[in-house]
Amino acid sequence: MNGLGKVRFEDVVKMHGSFAALKGVDFEIEPGEFFALLGPSGSGKSTTLRILAGLDMPTRGRVVLDDQDVTAQDARERDVAMVFQSYALYPHMTVAQNIAFPLEMEKKSKAEIEPLVREAARKVRIDHLLDRRPGQLSGGQRQRVAIGRAIVREPAAFLFDEPLSNLDAALRVGMRLEISELHQRLKTTMVYVTHDQVEAMTMADKIVVLRAGKVEQVGSPLDLYTAPQNTFVAGFIGSPKMNLVTGAEAQRYGVETIGIRPEHVTLSTTEGAWTGTVKVAEHLGSDTFLHVESPIHHEPLTVRAGGEFPVHHGDTVYLTPQEDKLHRFDGQGLAIR
Amino acid sequence: MKTKHLRAIGLLIVTGIFILAWVFPIFWSVLNSLKNEQDVLAYPPKLFFEPTLAAYRSVLFGPQSILPNLWSSFVISAGTTVLTMAIAIPAAYALARLRVPGSRWAGFYVLATQMLPPVGIIIPYFLILRNIGWMDTYQGIILIYLSFSLPFAIWLMVSYFEDIPFEMEEAAAVDGASRLTTLRRIILPQVQGGIAVTIVFVFLNAWNEFLFAVVLSGNTVRPVTIAMFNFVSVEQTLWTQLAAVSVIAMLPVVILGILAQKHIVKGLTVGAVKGGGRR
Amino acid sequence: MSLAEPVAAPSGAAFSPPRAVGLDLMARRERRFAAALLAPAFVALAATTTFPLLFLVWTSTFRMDLAMPFMDGFVGIENYRQLFADPRFWQSLSVSMIYTVTTVIAQVILGLALALLVMNMKRGQGLFRFIAILPVVLSPAVVGMVWRSFMLTPEFGVVDYLSISAGLGSQNWLGDPFLALVSVIVIHTWQWTPFAFMVLLASLASLPDDIYEAARIDRAGPWQRFWRITLPLLRPAIVMVIIMRTMVALTAFAAIFTVTGGGPGTATEILNLYAYRKSFTELSIGYGSALAVALLIVTILISAVLFLIRRAK
Repeated sequence: MNGLGKVRFEDVVKMHGSFAALKGVDFEIEPGEFFALLGPSGSGKSTTLRILAGLDMPTRGRVVLDDQDVTAQDARERDVAMVFQSYALYPHMTVAQNIAFPLEMEKKSKAEIEPLVREAARKVRIDHLLDRRPGQLSGGQRQRVAIGRAIVREPAAFLFDEPLSNLDAALRVGMRLEISELHQRLKTTMVYVTHDQVEAMTMADKIVVLRAGKVEQVGSPLDLYTAPQNTFVAGFIGSPKMNLVTGAEAQRYGVETIGIRPEHVTLSTTEGAWTGTVKVAEHLGSDTFLHVESPIHHEPLTVRAGGEFPVHHGDTVYLTPQEDKLHRFDGQGLAIR
Repeated sequence: MKTKHLRAIGLLIVTGIFILAWVFPIFWSVLNSLKNEQDVLAYPPKLFFEPTLAAYRSVLFGPQSILPNLWSSFVISAGTTVLTMAIAIPAAYALARLRVPGSRWAGFYVLATQMLPPVGIIIPYFLILRNIGWMDTYQGIILIYLSFSLPFAIWLMVSYFEDIPFEMEEAAAVDGASRLTTLRRIILPQVQGGIAVTIVFVFLNAWNEFLFAVVLSGNTVRPVTIAMFNFVSVEQTLWTQLAAVSVIAMLPVVILGILAQKHIVKGLTVGAVKGGGRR
Repeated sequence: MSLAEPVAAPSGAAFSPPRAVGLDLMARRERRFAAALLAPAFVALAATTTFPLLFLVWTSTFRMDLAMPFMDGFVGIENYRQLFADPRFWQSLSVSMIYTVTTVIAQVILGLALALLVMNMKRGQGLFRFIAILPVVLSPAVVGMVWRSFMLTPEFGVVDYLSISAGLGSQNWLGDPFLALVSVIVIHTWQWTPFAFMVLLASLASLPDDIYEAARIDRAGPWQRFWRITLPLLRPAIVMVIIMRTMVALTAFAAIFTVTGGGPGTATEILNLYAYRKSFTELSIGYGSALAVALLIVTILISAVLFLIRRAK
């Protein structure tokens, strides 16, 4: 391994003309961490990744890699590797040549390159495809080639740009596990961009939630889940979404907005703090999700019950939020602890 | 049933007319080139006769041999093609793939240069080349040929460069390749087909060119397109030889056209203002 | 984190956008590389097109007669005044217009008809596309020569032979002013209709099938389907063909020069040819330059109009 992979992103601003893509983004990545950049489209996560890769330069701020200021350093010089959303494989080269290319750029000899290519191909399990062209491979195989091309250099950090979004659902779950396993084995810093919070939550050691070019919160998955710092993070993390209630009910707790996750609401057909009518009931067998219309909020509340809960459309139910799991937010949407 | 038959027959007739109309003049020239002096003048025109290569022999090896003309055409076309591609490929790459502020204006400029009527260029060129002594020289005529082949080649190559997935350069950059290496090893191999098609069209347009050749030619520069006039004069027309010259002049471009068949439409429609060749 | 205190987001300070900056270092490197790649092309283009154009405008302000050099000198816009009063100029302009409009309309209609025809053929499409290639790759000079000699020569030419056989008698195809104009228009149309055919055929082939099926379910007849669905969808391709062929027809040279040389008299003399003849046959280069400039202006005006039409769609 070349570098440790310690990254510092200091107060980075990126302007595209008069449009501010990043408005002062700041975070740190520890060596060997799996770091997720999470956010809706347009949040600036891809811009951040590109600046980390050296494909773009910040308008203001610094990028520090392993205690070296690399802000002005071009991608060609930087010790990072990247897996692109579209894989960006070289279609006129074989798989082996694709993987060998970065090593050629490092001016390694053919004798040195060959075993390294084979090793990398083995790690991503495509060593039987070395003579094929990308056009002859399936989507999942192409992605492995892209990953192989990235790991063969043993860089300080790997950058992933929404790598799973082009795969179908079944493949996606499998690849998620493989990438996580790869991280366990290689122990290299991985920076992973995604809009899918499930991916981020399951794979990352640390997540930064971005919105409109600003950092909303940085923390471990569990931190984001149990202690969201504002209503955006609270609503973004967790599926189904947290119920955010304003109005009279929130006033009762002395705040502008209260939040309670669907899985933290106790259901009863007899009594409870809030009452409502079941609008839609989703019976999955393992869980039941109810969408309940209630006077306390203008939108239906989502409630989860473990196992089977036999209610139907039109039934009346009673909901009680678990007090210790209740979140409070002020007028600006910031959390109050 | 009847209407279906009628339609089929009607279709066949129209098909026949189409094929006939567009193939006939070429076919007839080929036929005439194989006739002897008497057969060609026969009235009514003869479709069946005893073919002879006399016209070709005369035209290629006789006193008015067009071999020097063929060579001249070849030098002009090849020279134009080589120079054009050397300049156009990098320029097209820059316009198509690199982030250049003002590339839209550059693009408009290239487009606008195609609107200049050839007669508007030949007049100043005539005066200038006369003054610097480059009349009847290959460098003179290749230079002026650039005026139409460059914009065309640039536009055609731009369309091929644009077909490459856009993340290629970035992947190569992350892999550590310099810009030049990226162009050489990653981008160019992917547009090989486009380069071949562009070469065909540039060569073709140069080979067929007439106006500039008429004005600037002399003893050295005498392409095949004007060689035809050697066989036509007020007194007489050497019909079979004229036919042979026409066929020989047509041959290279027809072959190239057949080779580039699949790409003809793209090659002809690119370059929004002018397409298809020189008038 | 103390209780009852709102927790600030990590990026606490309010964001103030920086003043407009120029290109950053990376963008500048890329621009340098691009400039190096573009430079030869721009030098070459400037030298071969822009500079000659400026020179042309310059010479158009001179009187320059290679036959009578003692009259040469700067005359300002005198050439242009002469141009406006020159009947031969106006005639050549009208011939240009007639020629261009007629051949472009003919090409489009014929090309479209053929494309529609071939579209519905199950087999043989390849053959048609093959045949269509031949006329368009030929040199217009050769095409002109072939037609002039083997097709239109009285008695010897095939067209004349057919005319005689049909009872219309031998015609002076290239000697009669009206017939000469018709002849050059036909020749130009012959050569370039296959182009329109190929482009429109490709365009037709790319039209999605489901629209037609939906139309058929809505019980639209074949004529209606053509008029309301096919034609509007083909409009971009048709407009493009019109633009391209118009440009070419305005500056056509070889095809007319080899056939009639502009004659008889000035019957087939389009503005293009008039400028040429003035400059290189009559050796009045100054006035010829002015004519060429006039042609350029006409070309620009027409293409501006056509582009506006295209954008309006």
